[in-house]
Amino acid sequence: MARDPSDAARLGAGLGAVAIVTFVYVQWLHVSNAAIVSTTFLMVVLVLAATSRLWIAVVTSAVAMLCFNFFFLPPVGTWTIADPQNWMALFAFLAVSLVASNLSAVARVRTQEAVGRRDELARLFDLSRDVLVMTDSREAIAILARSIARRFDLEFAAIALPRSSDWDVFEAGPQRTDLDTRQLASAFAAAQTSLEFDAYARTYAGHRTVTIEGRAIRLVPLRVGTKPIGLLAAAGRPIEAGTLDALGGVVAIAIERAQFLEERKAGELTRQSEQLKTALLASVGHDLRTPLTAIRVAATNIQASSLTADDRLDQSNLILAEVERLTRLFQNILEMARLDAGGIAAESRWTHPSEIVAAARGQVEQTLRQHNVSVTVDPDVPVQLDPRLTAAALAHLLENAAEYAPSGSTIDVHGRITEEGLVIQVRDHGPGIASADLPHLFERFYRGDAARARASGTGMGLWIARGLLAAEQGRVWAENGPDGGAQFTIVVPAAAKEPAASPGI
Amino acid sequence: MTPRSRILLVDDEVAIQRAVGPLLRSRGYDVEIAGTGADALKMIANETPDLIVLDLGLPDLEGTEVCRRVRARSKVPIVVLSARGAEADKVDALDLGADDYVTKPFGPEELLARIRVALRRAASEDQTTSGHFRAGDLTIDYDRRRVLRHEAEIRLTPKEFELLSLLAHNHDRVLTHRSILKAIWGPNAVEQTEHLWTLVAQLRKKIEPDPANPQYLMSEPWVGYRFATGDSDNPT
Repeated sequence: MARDPSDAARLGAGLGAVAIVTFVYVQWLHVSNAAIVSTTFLMVVLVLAATSRLWIAVVTSAVAMLCFNFFFLPPVGTWTIADPQNWMALFAFLAVSLVASNLSAVARVRTQEAVGRRDELARLFDLSRDVLVMTDSREAIAILARSIARRFDLEFAAIALPRSSDWDVFEAGPQRTDLDTRQLASAFAAAQTSLEFDAYARTYAGHRTVTIEGRAIRLVPLRVGTKPIGLLAAAGRPIEAGTLDALGGVVAIAIERAQFLEERKAGELTRQSEQLKTALLASVGHDLRTPLTAIRVAATNIQASSLTADDRLDQSNLILAEVERLTRLFQNILEMARLDAGGIAAESRWTHPSEIVAAARGQVEQTLRQHNVSVTVDPDVPVQLDPRLTAAALAHLLENAAEYAPSGSTIDVHGRITEEGLVIQVRDHGPGIASADLPHLFERFYRGDAARARASGTGMGLWIARGLLAAEQGRVWAENGPDGGAQFTIVVPAAAKEPAASPGI
Repeated sequence: MTPRSRILLVDDEVAIQRAVGPLLRSRGYDVEIAGTGADALKMIANETPDLIVLDLGLPDLEGTEVCRRVRARSKVPIVVLSARGAEADKVDALDLGADDYVTKPFGPEELLARIRVALRRAASEDQTTSGHFRAGDLTIDYDRRRVLRHEAEIRLTPKEFELLSLLAHNHDRVLTHRSILKAIWGPNAVEQTEHLWTLVAQLRKKIEPDPANPQYLMSEPWVGYRFATGDSDNPT
C-alpha cells in the first residue's frame, strides 16, 4: 500500500501523534473529557489530511477512534461502551474526521493539480517562446525537439514527421530510443481517422503509449487545426494528457511555421535569382548589341573598296577596341558566375604593390586610353597577398573611374602600406558620386541616375571588385574626395617585408 | 543620288558613330553626327537633314521625345535604332511618327535598305494621296475605290479597302497596330488587335498571289504591318 516512502513516514507520524496525545492525556494530564480528546484527535487527522493522502488520514482516524474508545470512553481499558451517549460521541468523531479528511484531501489534490498545471503552462509558454525565435532552417525542428526535452524535463522527446515512404525523426533528450516506424504509422493512422477530443470519454484521439526497450513512450499527434501532420514522442516525466495535447498543438504550429519560413526562403531565392537574370539580360543585352553592331558594320566598311588606308586602319582599330569590350564583358560575366558559385580562392604570394597597379592598368588599357594615370606607391616593398585578385579588383576601379571622369582628366592611384595591410586609393577628377548612390554603389547591377543615362556600363564592375576583394578578406569603399572627384579605397590584409614605420607615410 | 542626301546620325555610342558614319559616307550620303538629343535638335533647327537615324537610348533625352519634337516641326524621315530589345520603345517611336526601325545588332545592308526606302518615300510623298497606286501586279484606284490585279477587279469590303489604301499610302513604312486600328476603327479600338488580324487575313486571301507567303502585306511581328512595294527589300 505504501508505494511512496514519504507516505509511510506520514502514516507513522500520524499514528505517532495519536499515540503521543493518548499517552500525554492518560499519563500526565489525566484528561477524561470526551469533547477535548475528540477535538484533539480531530486536529491531528485534519493536519494529516491536509498534508498527505486520503487513506493515511482514514487509517489514522480509525486508529484514533479505537484509542478514543479504549482509553477515554468509560469503561476505560475495554472496547465496550457503557453510556449510549458515548456511542454517539464516538461515531460523531469518526464521521467528522472522515468527512474533513476527504474535503481536505480533495482540496489538496486540486491545489496540486493547479500547481502542476501552472508548471506545465509555464513550460508550454517557455516552449512557445523558443518556437518564436526559431529560424527558418531544417535544423529548426531538431532544435524544437531539444527544446521540448529541456523545457519538460523529459528523458526522451522526438518529433516524427511522415515522408512519402519513411519518417523523419528528430530525437532529443538524454536517453534516445529508436522509434518503431510501424508503431508510428499506426498511431498516425488512428489520429487521422478519429475525433480530436472525445468529450464524452474524455480521451484524446491518437494518444497512445508504446513500450520500446522496456520504456513507456507516449505518442501524441501533432495537429494543425484538426489535421495531424506528425507525432510527438515523449518519455520520462509523466505529463497530463491535456497538456500533452496542447504541447502537440504548439509543436505542430512551430513545424508549420518552420516549413512556411523554409518555403518562403526558397521562394525568395527563386525570386532573387529571377531578378538577377532579368537584370543580367537587361544590362548585358545593350553591352552586347552595340559592339556587335559596330564590329559588323566596320567589317563591311573594310571590305568596301572605296576606303582610304587611314579609314581602313581606323575601322580595324574600332573592331579591335570593340572586341576588347566584348572580351571584358565576357570576363565580367565569368567572374560574376565564379563569385556566385563561391569558386574564387585567394592564393597569397609576395609581390610589389607597383606590379599590382601595373597589372591592373594593363587589363583595362583600352578603357584608360583617354585618361592620364598617375601612380605613386610608397613604400614599394613586397607584400604578401593574392596579386591576381587585387589587380583584377583594382582594374574594375580604374575602369569605373575612366568611365565617369571626363576624358583627358587624371586618375590618381596611390598605394601605401599600413598596419591593416596594403591600401590602394583611386581618385578621379570627375563629377563625384551622388549621395543617394553612395550606399548602393557596390550592389550588383546598381547604376546611379547619372550612370543609367550613359549608354555603356553594366553595374557589374564594382560588385565584382568587392567580391574579389572579399575572397582575400579585403574591403573596398567609396567616398567623394576633397576636391569633388570620386575616391575609392581598397584595403587588403597583407604582411609586408619591411614593417611600415607608421601608417600612411 | 544627286544631289547627295544629308543624313543626321544621332547616337551616343562612339563605336556606332565610328562604324556607321563611314558606312553611310561610302554609300554617297553626307553624314552629320550628334551624340545627344539636345545636339540633334539644335542641328535639326539649323538645317533640316534629309533623314535622321536616331538611337532610342540617348543619354539626355528619351529617343521617343526627340521623335516627338522633330515631328512637331518637320516631316523629315526618321529611322530609329532600337538597342533595347523592348518592342514598346520602337512602337512608341513609330506611333510618334518615326518611319522605320532597325534593331541592334543590325547588319549594314539592313540599315541601308531602310534609309533608301525612307528617302524614296519622302521624295514621292505628295503623289500618293490620290489617283492610282501600282505595286507589282496590283493597282489601287483611290478615286474609284477599286483594286485590280492583272486588270481583273478584286472585290473588297469597305474596311478591307480602307486598310489596303492606308497601308499603300504609307507603303514601305511600318504602321503600328495601334495607328492602323485608330485610323480604321477609331480611337476606342486601339487595343483590339484581333480585329486587325482577321481583316489582314481576309485581305491577304484576296490580294496576295500566295496568302501564306505574303509579298505585299508584310507583318512586322509585335509591331505592325508594312505594305511592301517589292523593290524596297531588294537593294541594288
